[in-house]
Amino acid sequence: MKKIEAIIQPFKLDEVKNALTGIGVDGITISEVRGHGRQKGHTEVYRGAEYKVDLIPKVKLEIVAADARVAQIVQTLTDAARSGKIGDGKIFVSSMEDAIRIRNGDHGDSAL
Amino acid sequence: MKAQKTSSSGRRNRSAKKVFQVCSLLLLAASIFLGLLTPLLADDPKPDPAGIATGDKSNAVDGGGTAFMVSEPTDKTAPNYAQAKKDFDDFKAQADKEPLAVKLADTVGHVRVATNAAWTLNTGYLVLFMQAGFALLTCGLVRKKNAAHLMMLNFAAYVFAFVAYWAVGYAFQFGAVAVNAAPTNLGGTPTLNHFLLGSGLWGFLGGKGFFLAGPAYDAGSNVLILFEVVFMETAGYIIVGSICERITFWSFILCELFVGGILYPVFGCWVWGGGWLSQIGTTMGMGHGYVDFAGSTVVHAIGGFCAMALSVVLGPRLGKYGKDGKPRAFPAHNIVFVVTGTFILLFGWMGFNPGSTLGATDLRISVIAINTNLAAIMGSASAMLFWYMKFGKPDISMACNGMLAGLVAITAPCAFVGPTSAVIIGILAGLVVCLGVLFNDHVTKIDDPCGAISVHGFCGVLGAICLGLFADGTYGAGWNGVGATTYLGKAGQGVTGLLYGDSSQFLTQLMGAAICAAWAFGATFVVFKIVNAVKSMRVSREAEEEGLDVPEFGMVAYPEDSLHATEA
Repeated sequence: MKKIEAIIQPFKLDEVKNALTGIGVDGITISEVRGHGRQKGHTEVYRGAEYKVDLIPKVKLEIVAADARVAQIVQTLTDAARSGKIGDGKIFVSSMEDAIRIRNGDHGDSAL
Repeated sequence: MKAQKTSSSGRRNRSAKKVFQVCSLLLLAASIFLGLLTPLLADDPKPDPAGIATGDKSNAVDGGGTAFMVSEPTDKTAPNYAQAKKDFDDFKAQADKEPLAVKLADTVGHVRVATNAAWTLNTGYLVLFMQAGFALLTCGLVRKKNAAHLMMLNFAAYVFAFVAYWAVGYAFQFGAVAVNAAPTNLGGTPTLNHFLLGSGLWGFLGGKGFFLAGPAYDAGSNVLILFEVVFMETAGYIIVGSICERITFWSFILCELFVGGILYPVFGCWVWGGGWLSQIGTTMGMGHGYVDFAGSTVVHAIGGFCAMALSVVLGPRLGKYGKDGKPRAFPAHNIVFVVTGTFILLFGWMGFNPGSTLGATDLRISVIAINTNLAAIMGSASAMLFWYMKFGKPDISMACNGMLAGLVAITAPCAFVGPTSAVIIGILAGLVVCLGVLFNDHVTKIDDPCGAISVHGFCGVLGAICLGLFADGTYGAGWNGVGATTYLGKAGQGVTGLLYGDSSQFLTQLMGAAICAAWAFGATFVVFKIVNAVKSMRVSREAEEEGLDVPEFGMVAYPEDSLHATEA
């Protein structure tokens, strides 16, 4: 079992979501986040005083999937979220120990 | 730790309460004393609470202000006695022949006053709505963590400044208006006829109508009260934009009582209540006396320079200036509020300026309304373009400030200038507000979160000066009792500026605006420097860092964004 975390451009969310639903991914959790990578943001002027905009709004998707599905999901994610410009984001994959469905106490892949 | 914090904040609250109680008691005692004093001045005209006797044939006048009735001349030595006597005899002969016409004139006069009362009340309601505009504008311009604090300041400003104006403010400002500046459009308010300080053409403080009772309990006077109290409230809101995000609520209440009870009414009496500044045309030959049609200085510069003094006393917000002395930006949290608020203010200004005729029978109102709009759009255009060229992007909050700057600057001259001058005044105001904001931020380092000092203080003074430059003489013949028959050798010549040949008016405007700024800044600074020395007017460092919403009021503006809402 793996957890896939993808940080993507907010305006790509709908496209990514549709692509994932298209390949049968049932569970997605998203959150609005801010951050920066190598692209360090820029300065703006407010009423004559400068300020840095270096924490840029992004959307984070979290998907937990069975090992066999990870490659396909990552590929779909990459294709759908890519615009080819700086700031497209990153995907992180990590191992997940267990998953529990709260309603009935199922464990492991069957809880996904 | 928590218990300790509570007890120290409890102590703080208790001693703040004490200061507040003492001050309110003093104010109450003073006003009761003054209230008791007034009925002793006997032999007065009777107030007319029902409004039945307000407006009769003496108020029946034509468009040019010529009265239907001709009164009998009493001074036989006057140079024009013979002509006046003949006019009276002719009128009398006609009136005797047509008694019904004279009777009808009573109705005409009453309807005229009623029309003007309806106009003045309704424009007053528009000005009242400006409160909502100010609240949105200033709230939008600050950080989210202080949004509830800003709304409460704007709200409480209306409440407490009104209390002070009810007790003493109105009486100080208009208690002697009938002496030199009777609002004839509203029936003349003859009961407001006594100066507490000074007399005749040298009045310094009105003295009738404390608690809006007795002589002020009059239909005509109540129209004036409604219209004038919302003007005073405008000065009351202006200060919010400058002192927010760091002032304690108790000291804010003191500020509002001070503005509504003393600061605003005193200068208001001098200019609009028939006081000495309005009469220096007669007493010292200075133009038409000091002229401010709708309050560039009387309202806006008073508020703006009071705000400046308070901001100096309070000091800048934490973190506004870095160790290098450079200003830091605290971007607006809701620009939608800022723009909506500005439009509400523009709408309200359609009452503020045209309403200041105190009458719809003065058809200059249409010119005033258009001048006001022209200055507003030009102020905004010049501020937008200035910012566009200097910083590469037009700052939306400065575009709004620019519109307000144009409005503030046209407020004094709106009735006396033509469209081209209104455009120039708007452009100048837009530039002044941009330079003013940069100047305060980078040079004086007076922290002014919403630009109130530049918009209302600097552009208010600019407005009074522009009147002295651009007034074209087409309106205001006989203003402040000057030049009723001829002025500058011409019959019907009104208030005239430097560019149209009256340098004395220009000098008068310079002097009056300087006095306004000095009074507003000086009086506020002295009073609140003392208050601040007795007890700090600033919130604690922790409260300012957290945002004032919870430490001061126990709630936030947007609970769904905050953990406070879910904590048990």
